[in-house]
Amino acid sequence: MKRYELIIIGAGPAGLSAAIEAASNGMQVMVFDENERPGGQLFKQIHKFFGSKEHKAKERGFRIGEKLLKEAEGLGVEVQLKAAVMGIFDDKEISVMLDGRVEHYRANNIVIATGASEKMLPFPGWTLPGVIGAGAAQTMMNLHGLKPGSRVLMVGSGNVGLVVGYQLLQAGCKLEAVIDAAPRVGGYGVHAAKLARTGVPFYMSHTIKEAHGDSCVKGAAILAVDSSWQPIPGSEKYLEVDTICMAVGLSPMSQLARTAHCEMENNPLKGGLVSICNKYGETSTPGVYAVGDVAGIEEASSAMIQGRIAGAAISFDKGYINEAEFATRYEEYQNSLMQLREGMFGHKDKEAADMEHTEEGYILSQSLLSKGYMDAEEIEEYPGVYPVEQRGKGVFPVIECTQNIPCNPCQDACKRGCIKVSGKITNLPSVDASVECTACGMCVVSCPGQAIFLVDETLAPGYASVAIPYEFYPLPEPGSKGLALDRSGTSLGEAEVLKVKSSKAMDETAVLTMKVPVEWSMQARFFQVY
Amino acid sequence: MLKEGSELMRIDHHPILKTFEKGKLVKFLYDGEVMEGYEGEPIAVALRANGVMIHRYTSKHNDPRGVFCAIGRCTDCVMVVDGEPNIRTCITPLQEDMKIETQHGISNNKEDESI
Ligand SMILES: Cc1cc2nc3c(=O)[nH]c(=O)nc-3n(C[C@H](O)[C@H](O)[C@H](O)COP(=O)(O)OP(=O)(O)OC[C@H]3O[C@@H](n4cnc5c(N)ncnc54)[C@H](O)[C@@H]3O)c2cc1C
Ligand code: SF4
Ligand code: SF4
Ligand code: FES
Repeated sequence: MKRYELIIIGAGPAGLSAAIEAASNGMQVMVFDENERPGGQLFKQIHKFFGSKEHKAKERGFRIGEKLLKEAEGLGVEVQLKAAVMGIFDDKEISVMLDGRVEHYRANNIVIATGASEKMLPFPGWTLPGVIGAGAAQTMMNLHGLKPGSRVLMVGSGNVGLVVGYQLLQAGCKLEAVIDAAPRVGGYGVHAAKLARTGVPFYMSHTIKEAHGDSCVKGAAILAVDSSWQPIPGSEKYLEVDTICMAVGLSPMSQLARTAHCEMENNPLKGGLVSICNKYGETSTPGVYAVGDVAGIEEASSAMIQGRIAGAAISFDKGYINEAEFATRYEEYQNSLMQLREGMFGHKDKEAADMEHTEEGYILSQSLLSKGYMDAEEIEEYPGVYPVEQRGKGVFPVIECTQNIPCNPCQDACKRGCIKVSGKITNLPSVDASVECTACGMCVVSCPGQAIFLVDETLAPGYASVAIPYEFYPLPEPGSKGLALDRSGTSLGEAEVLKVKSSKAMDETAVLTMKVPVEWSMQARFFQVY
Repeated sequence: MLKEGSELMRIDHHPILKTFEKGKLVKFLYDGEVMEGYEGEPIAVALRANGVMIHRYTSKHNDPRGVFCAIGRCTDCVMVVDGEPNIRTCITPLQEDMKIETQHGISNNKEDESI
């Protein structure tokens, strides 16, 4: 039986980070993954991530995956793909299905980093071809270049539903609606706003009644529910769709922890059944660790840090780093992790958030929470928007980021210092009207929430320019005409494209500047090609 | 012969990913019909690009099933491939001249059959 110092199960962000940390300290590491490519969820994530620089914010998920892999390979980490781990037995022996045969390995330490699986919500017709998981939609469109459907209904308004919804639009599908049984959009407001301004309707307090079709999905009936989740008679709506995409949550894939006799708990905050871990990620079975989504549904950014912590703890335990070194690293990683867990969506504050005000005391937009977009008047109240009297001097940034989310690339992007995220990274970004904006557009493209716009109300008498982030194909030509849409996706009228800027540094996010009547300067937020 | 919806499902230009690396274009047989797909892509992807939604029928109720998870976990997409049943088409690469048939019944997934 082959023996390793450290075996890691799962080559997602958590597993790879644990491997990198341990291997960089000199440990011999073996990673098994059942998939045929490494990277876990990251390779399906084509959007820019939140967080701060140290969390690799504003990088697209798949590029983070590529970097992790390269780093792991550079350190001599072995990654065995198409290797499904079936069980963990006494003495840290594991059985692995390889090429149809069961192989056994033994390790001094094991890290379980198997991620999560998608939850399902049964409803009449849910087994029809055309009902798919959000992960399946991502796999088809982002890995294999195939639209999962033409007209799609997204069930679930958490970040997964919102992000996959946006990716569906980028793939060229039509997103007919996003529905959620909860009264409020579950994911970040900025993710919702990206969809809403293209015209995607949000039906909150709605559930799916049934899928229509004999041999495959031909439509979906949805219906409103009241505050006690009871259907409201007569509220039924029919949507003509060929695909129903389910994004109703993830559950930790913790079966392996059970085979290792780890003490388990059912923790709704962590997404279900998880092993009980100490602060280093070690389970009740000594030498067996659990990190990433398998230890509690979170984000890739936090999964990477958890992996680092476990890797460091194991290295220390085996004498590869000394106590002082371990203490320094642990503190650094832990601080970084805590930053991510702040805010109204974070693990730490989820329960405490009142959903009425931000931590700083700004009023939370209820329209954003219930419809996916903010009303035009509301936006004036936030610190990311210049006071009206300061707007006559030329271009100014408008930051429509109004919830406490762990993110600050906008601040780093502005070399001139127009934008600040002071204190905690979950604080709202604010603009400093005394610093002149050069209209470079870097804040616009660095914002993973696509929440920053550049407005110039002095373009020409009666006209303003509005610059927006744009990530669709094809890029409109300067001089071409189309419709200016407001935050709800409603057409305001005709707009003309003045400029389309894209460069390598902008990483496929273009800045599209359109000319609109000056009255629309604080309303026009999307450009629709005729 | 292409079915309705066919090649339109392929993404030719992706705003972020640009183009997708594909193997060579090959022919395969779906229930006796000649179709085209790219070598090495999952069978399920080639079928979907040709407008095929139904992969199998359950034995108990004869209910149609198609791709659901696309990562080899749910077994909804199993078909008879080159005579062998229960092949998960979402993770099995397409090869030239493969014979792919709709599967009736016989699945490993007990849970499915009770639905
Ligand atoms: C649509 C969507 C958008 C997201 N957006 C963001 C975002 O913007 N920012 C962010 O930080 N996070 C985001 N996330 C979350 C992030 O992708 C996950 O939190 C993260 O991938 C978890 O990492 P992990 O390593 O724990 O698990 P995974 O990435 O799921 O990796 C687990 C790996 O384990 C392997 N595995 C499982 N079981 C076995 C077994 N028995 N044997 C061998 N191998 C096994 C799997 O094949 C997989 O490769 C998003 C997720 C989704 C679905
Ligand atoms: S456009 Fe450039 S100068 Fe203006 S706020 Fe954004 S990053 Fe700063
Ligand atoms: S405005 Fe700043 S904090 Fe808000 S999503 Fe964009 S980059 Fe992040
Ligand atoms: S679609 Fe689930 S196994 Fe293929």
